[in-house]
Formats: sequence, C-alpha cells, structure tokens
Amino acid sequence: MSEQTFLVLTALAEEPLHGYAIVQAVEQLSEGRMVLRVGTLYGVLDRLVADGLAERDREEVHQGRLRRYYKLTDSGVRALQAEVARLSANVRAATAVLRGRGVQAWAGRA
Amino acid sequence: MGGSGMRNLERRYRTLLKVLPRWYRRDREEEMVGIFLAERDDDLDLEHSWPGWGETGAVLALAVRTHLAAGAALTSVPSKVARRGEVVRALGMLGLLLGMFYAMNMVVTVVVGLGRPFQSPQPWWRVLELAPVVAFAALLIGWRTLAKVVAAVPLSLVVVSVTATGDPGYVLVWGVFQFPLLVTFVCLCLGFHREAPIPPARRLLWWGGGALLLGVVGGFSGGTGMQTIAVLTLVLRVAVFVRGDGVLGRALSLFALAQLVPLLFVVVPSHSYLMPVGVLAALLAVAAVAPVWRRPKAAPQMG
Repeated sequence: MSEQTFLVLTALAEEPLHGYAIVQAVEQLSEGRMVLRVGTLYGVLDRLVADGLAERDREEVHQGRLRRYYKLTDSGVRALQAEVARLSANVRAATAVLRGRGVQAWAGRA
Repeated sequence: MGGSGMRNLERRYRTLLKVLPRWYRRDREEEMVGIFLAERDDDLDLEHSWPGWGETGAVLALAVRTHLAAGAALTSVPSKVARRGEVVRALGMLGLLLGMFYAMNMVVTVVVGLGRPFQSPQPWWRVLELAPVVAFAALLIGWRTLAKVVAAVPLSLVVVSVTATGDPGYVLVWGVFQFPLLVTFVCLCLGFHREAPIPPARRLLWWGGGALLLGVVGGFSGGTGMQTIAVLTLVLRVAVFVRGDGVLGRALSLFALAQLVPLLFVVVPSHSYLMPVGVLAALLAVAAVAPVWRRPKAAPQMG
C-alpha cells in the first residue's frame, strides 16, 4: 500500500469526507510532508472505490460547487488495520535494533 | 456550471481537464474544479494564476490512466476504453518480445563471430541490446519503472550515437528503422501505468521463451530477422483471429503496421532487394488490415 493510499484511508477512517477535506486531512496527518494534487487524489480514490475499500457517500452543493463525500467500507477498515499491524511490526523491529545499538528510536525535533 | 461569471483560473483549469476522457469528466469535472478552487478567493489569484506544473502533471498522469484504463482499476469504465488499454499494453509487450528476439540474434552473432579471429570484434556497447530481456523480467516481477528505464537504454543509445554523426539523412533513416521499437516503447511506458495490472507471468514466460528461441534460430540463419518477424506476425494474427482474441489481434495489427514503416520509407525507395521486401510488405499489410473482431454467429431462426 502506498503512503498516499494509507493516508487517504486513515483520513476517511474517522468520518466520511469530501475531496478537499481529504486533501487537508492528508496534509495534516503527514505534518505537511504530503500535499495531494487534485489529479493524484482522484487516482487514489478511483483505485480505492474499484477495490471496494471506499465508496461514495452523499453529495452536497457548497457555495455553488459540488462536494461528493467518500466513506470507508468494512473492507477498507480491515485493509487499514492490516497495514497498521504491518507497519507497527516494522517499527517495533527497527526500535529493538536501534535500542540494541544504544540509540534512541524517536529523534526529537529541533 | 461554467457560466459567464467564470474566472480565468477556473477557465484554465477546465481547459486542462479536457485531456481527461469525456466519460470521466462527465462524472468528475465539477467535483475536481470545486476542490481545485476551494478557499481560493483572492481576485488577483483567480484572474492571473495558472494551474501550475505539479497539478498539470497530476492531471496528465490521470489522463493516461483513464484513457488507457485497466478495467479493474476504475469503476464504470466503458468497455471500449478498457479494451484500448489492453491493446496498448499488449503492443508494449510485443515490442519487448521483438527486442528479445533481436537480443538473442545479437548474442548468437557475437558467439559465432568469436570463432573467427579475423572478423572485426563487436563493440562493447552491444551488450546493452540485452536490455529488453531484463525489462521483460522486471515487468513480470512487477517492477514497472525499472522495466521502462531499462527498455529505454538501447533506444537512447541509438539516438545518442546517431545524432553524434550529425548527418540528418542518416538520423532520419535510423529513426525510421527504429520506429517499431519506438512505438512499442511508448506503449510500454503509457500502458503499464501505476494502476495497470502486472502481466500474467506464467503465460508470458512461454512467449518470452519462444522469442528467445526464435532469436537463436534467427541468429544462426543470419540476416533473416525481418522475414521471420513478418511471417510470425501473420501466422499469429491468423491464430489469434481464429481464437477470437480481439485485443491481441488489434495489437498485432498495429505491430504489423509499425513494422511496415521502415520497409515502405527506406527499403522500397532504395530499390534494393525489391522482390523479397515486396513480399514482406505484403505479408505485413495483410496482418495490418485483416479483420480483428469475429462477427458473432447469428442465432438460428426458430420455426
């Protein structure tokens, strides 16, 4: 699973979101590292919907513009769970290795 | 939407979105415009800004993925579009197989040449002609980007070495001769996008093995590469038609058309080997224009 897909799934895990809210949530979750372009977002959303991990929710018109909401499906929740478990196992392994070298796993921010 | 109150930035973005297929825009355009313009309310920005290189690149990439869609990667893809994507991917694959055929040809030529001490040695860079074999393996494993980069190596080498001569006529002749490989390379790059499926390895290994074997045979029979390719293209074309595989049939048809280009533009005007070249061109022309889709049998009439 790509980082983009992971972050979009995470953003949708909390509540159904419209496209712009997903872009904002991904930027926030990644602490500004990842800013999704509109074209990129739709590539990810199309794939998630086709794989049955997300689905269209309701539609709204906000300031004359269409807003379509997306929500996570049960399969999406399971896929996110599995990915979190995989990443957590990797983090635990890396933390153990670093601890063995006497290095702190979480480098503090300056 | 899209009335007279539209600002320049929106107009420019909608123009950019026209690279997307109509069926996709019908469903997504308003939504995409809404996200792009969200929280952009500065008059100067709305009047004088452009979508920007990053957004343009993202939309172009989306356009490639939607125009050459893989059926499983999108919902509600028209069957015609999914078929187009499959044809382009098959054509890219055929290009790799062609490159593998010529690579084995080269290997046999070099190995046979080793036993002849007075023959001029082959330049070292000919080893790069093996690139299609590596690209093919990379694609079957699922390393799409590596496959594309490796497949570009022999082509870029030809471009560099030919343009270094500085003779426009020579460049043109080489360009025309490399046309089939160039076309199939472009198809490889466009067709195997991020959302495209990884080709079925087991089935394609047979095809790859066949191409390598034919390359060995072709290497020993010396200088018969084009004939072998032309005859094989036609035979495959007939077999695929009988089997009713329209996608591979269309890909082979375009493959034959690409092979025709060097014959028609370089060999025929030079009047050299006109007779065998004429036969080859005829074979390829038949493979190119023969019908692709079999008409479904009419249902038996009752009564």
